[in-house]
Amino acid sequence: MAARTILRNEWRLLMADRPLKIVLGLFVVLLGYALTNGVVWLRFQERTVQATQTGNAERIHAFGQELEAIENGAEPSSPFADPRSPLVLGGPSGSHTAVLEPGPLTALAVGQSDLLPYYYDVNVYTNESSFHQNGEVENPLNLMVGRFDLTFVAVYLLPLLVLALSFNVLSEEREQGTLALTLSQPVSARTVVAVKLAFRAFLVAGMVLAVSLLGALATGGFGSPGRLLLWSATIVTYALFWFVLAAWVNTLRRSSAWNATVLVGAWLVLVVVLPAALNAAASLLHPLPSRVEMITAQREASNDAVNRRSELLARYLEDHPEMAEGVVADEPGLGALSWAATDAVNRRLEEVTAEHDARRDDQIALVRRYRFLSPAILAQEALLDAAGTGDARFADFQFQVRAFAEQWREFFVPAILAGEEMSARVLPDLPRFRLKDEEPAEVARRATVPLAALGGLLVLVSTGAGIGLGRVRGAD
Amino acid sequence: MIRHIARKEFTDVMRDGRFRWSSILVGALLLVSLAHGWDQTRKARQEHAAAQATAREHWDTQGEKNPHSAAHYGIYAFKPRLALSFVDEGVDPYTGTSVWLEAHRQNDFLLRPAQDATAAQRIGALTAAQVLQHLLPLLIILLTFAAFAGERERGTLRQLLATGVGRRELATGKALGIAGALSLLLAPAALVGAAALVVANPGPAASPLARAAVLAGVYLAYFTAFLALSLAVSAWARSARTALVVLLTVWVVNGLVAPRVAVDLSKRLHPTPSALEFARTVEQEMAASVEGISRPDRDESTRRLLAEYGVESVEDLPINAVGVYLQESEEFGNRIFDRNYGALWDAFERQGVVHETLAVAAPLLAVRTLSMGLAGTDVEQHRHFASAAETYRRDLMRRMNGDMTENSLTGDFTYTVGAEVWEAVPSLQYAAPTLGWVLGNRGLSLAVLGAWLVGAILAAAVRVRRAEVG
Repeated sequence: MAARTILRNEWRLLMADRPLKIVLGLFVVLLGYALTNGVVWLRFQERTVQATQTGNAERIHAFGQELEAIENGAEPSSPFADPRSPLVLGGPSGSHTAVLEPGPLTALAVGQSDLLPYYYDVNVYTNESSFHQNGEVENPLNLMVGRFDLTFVAVYLLPLLVLALSFNVLSEEREQGTLALTLSQPVSARTVVAVKLAFRAFLVAGMVLAVSLLGALATGGFGSPGRLLLWSATIVTYALFWFVLAAWVNTLRRSSAWNATVLVGAWLVLVVVLPAALNAAASLLHPLPSRVEMITAQREASNDAVNRRSELLARYLEDHPEMAEGVVADEPGLGALSWAATDAVNRRLEEVTAEHDARRDDQIALVRRYRFLSPAILAQEALLDAAGTGDARFADFQFQVRAFAEQWREFFVPAILAGEEMSARVLPDLPRFRLKDEEPAEVARRATVPLAALGGLLVLVSTGAGIGLGRVRGAD
Repeated sequence: MIRHIARKEFTDVMRDGRFRWSSILVGALLLVSLAHGWDQTRKARQEHAAAQATAREHWDTQGEKNPHSAAHYGIYAFKPRLALSFVDEGVDPYTGTSVWLEAHRQNDFLLRPAQDATAAQRIGALTAAQVLQHLLPLLIILLTFAAFAGERERGTLRQLLATGVGRRELATGKALGIAGALSLLLAPAALVGAAALVVANPGPAASPLARAAVLAGVYLAYFTAFLALSLAVSAWARSARTALVVLLTVWVVNGLVAPRVAVDLSKRLHPTPSALEFARTVEQEMAASVEGISRPDRDESTRRLLAEYGVESVEDLPINAVGVYLQESEEFGNRIFDRNYGALWDAFERQGVVHETLAVAAPLLAVRTLSMGLAGTDVEQHRHFASAAETYRRDLMRRMNGDMTENSLTGDFTYTVGAEVWEAVPSLQYAAPTLGWVLGNRGLSLAVLGAWLVGAILAAAVRVRRAEVG
């Protein structure tokens, strides 16, 4: 009963507060702008994905026609691009583009999808250096600043709105002298504050969630209900964290102005300063190794390999008997020799990158330990994971492409070593990349850590606020 | 009189615990970021210099081969770090660090450091520039918001003015007092920065000290504008709380909202092609002729040579016709690359102008542009190096094709040369753009920042004159 009265009054207060209505309206405009940016980016990626798939089909079709023509007596279009050669059909001009479909909620979170490559051309020459490409064409300045998407609005601006709505939830009543009157009713301070904040939280989180769901509806995000649920849970937990923090500060019995200063300070430290300071500390304590030496190593390996091709081939055949059925190592063809060199370079490159990646993973593991200090980093991590635009999904994609490249080599290398010719008959059997996208359970398991940490922070401030509210007396 | 007010304001600030702690925090962050940036830059420079030397050694010691094989082997170029990049790393983490200069094609710069980092590391790098652009204005706001509004609330403004102090004197005094307190924080940082610049080998930046001086001037103008704006708001606002809320809103729009709005706006106004479309367009144009750029025809090239030398068959030519044709193809390719990469860089530049224009609403955008420009870490200076590397590549290819043309005959595939030819190729000597070049490109940002400075001071003057007493 008391709760309903408080709610009704809250509604009346909101309707009477013009500046507040303007701020809320502005927030909706920002949400709308953020969503359209995400949708535009998603559509752009979808068009590119479509184009890569058409490209795959067109290449196979063209090769099929040429191979059939050659079988019927025609000459290959160029002696260097004879599709009967496995180094051509399986080489750069016959590449299969392996592509990562945009994350199901990309429209809500651009995340890393503007920086990391989401498709790779796979052929027999694919090696570790193939994974160090630039990804989408993008102005470095825009990459540096980052997009205005829903994740940005949720992580940075949502807390500010929350604080604007709640910094004086109790202090204002005290300053107006209505606190004693309110608490003289059969209602506790806990209930009053809880209902007031629940109303506001419902309003703010409701706006963000409504726009998110609208975005998901428009872009097929409902196909991944688990991700949508994770997204919503993160938004709600993060928003509640800020509301409860405001309630806690309100129980300290200071003025509204003091509350506002402290809460804005908290926002500044937790959202702006801490992430930057953590990044600085991370790169100071655990510097990321540079990739520059990789180029030198690759160069040296290939110089060396070219000079020792015969020796390398013999070793290759010893190491990979499965690849070499019917090959006589004593009289290797040119293709086999060059393949042995290619393979040696690839192995050396794998060594260099493995060393580098291990150091990188160590650094990242250390950096990620610090994220528990900042709710903003936690929320961002969970939101990106939910959207499918976080680091993990891209790493998983790269992992799958590596396996696919191996499959592609297994298909062509025996023919390269044996100097065999390919025909149109092999085309239907060519390996095709099929993305095995993350299982919902996997996403959920991964996101449990940041979400639980965020929940832990929420419990922490809730306890503080609960104890503080228990001490509030009308006579304060 | 102004001196008395300034001294009083200065003492107030110094006694204020909030200021002491926040300035200690900001000062520590500033010094740490300077030291860290300096260390990073030094390491990166050593690494790049070593890699560049090794790349050159690989070129010199590639052994006996045909010049065109050497052209395919090519050489790597590594982007140098300029002297001032330790203050502002700019877009450097988002541009590649090295490029392979090989025959027939212009490659992209690869290995972007940001691709090795995580999403969390993208949301804020702590550089001196970030501290100066974001945290310093915040400190100024906290020091200034109550300057008038607070005195008015306490009723001391009426008293003060009753003593016969002019409003302008009062405002100037307060501004000077706060500026004095801030200079205790900024002067040591500037000295440390200048010392680091002198101690560090200044690298290839032209006139690093002049750049640093202008950089200091830019930041000083930014801080002055913020100080004046805060005073204006403090004089205008009814209460100190209103002043704080308004100024914090300005800060959020300036530092957080406007920069990101500019990103998506610039992409919509000046879209760039997808990487796939770009690669396909280049490929298609290389395979056929486009608008006035015709693909060289091998037979026609040979016919022309035969006529020029007055001989009947290619065997009689004193030069290698293949070398001539290769160079013609190279020049055709160059025109295609210029056309496509030129259009892309121009689109980036127009997107940059959108960012610069939005500085009208957020001075940070003007300061950021100028800061990156002066530090040598903006998109334009990346383009400048990329063009230098590409010019070098073209010269290298011309030399290789020229050697083949002049010293071998058509059809002679056994022709090889050795170290004397490789060593005769000059190294890539990069001259970073001059200060004049940078400032010439940044006229818009200079104008907008100037307008903010003048506008903020005028607003402060007007608001202080009209300020209500109580």
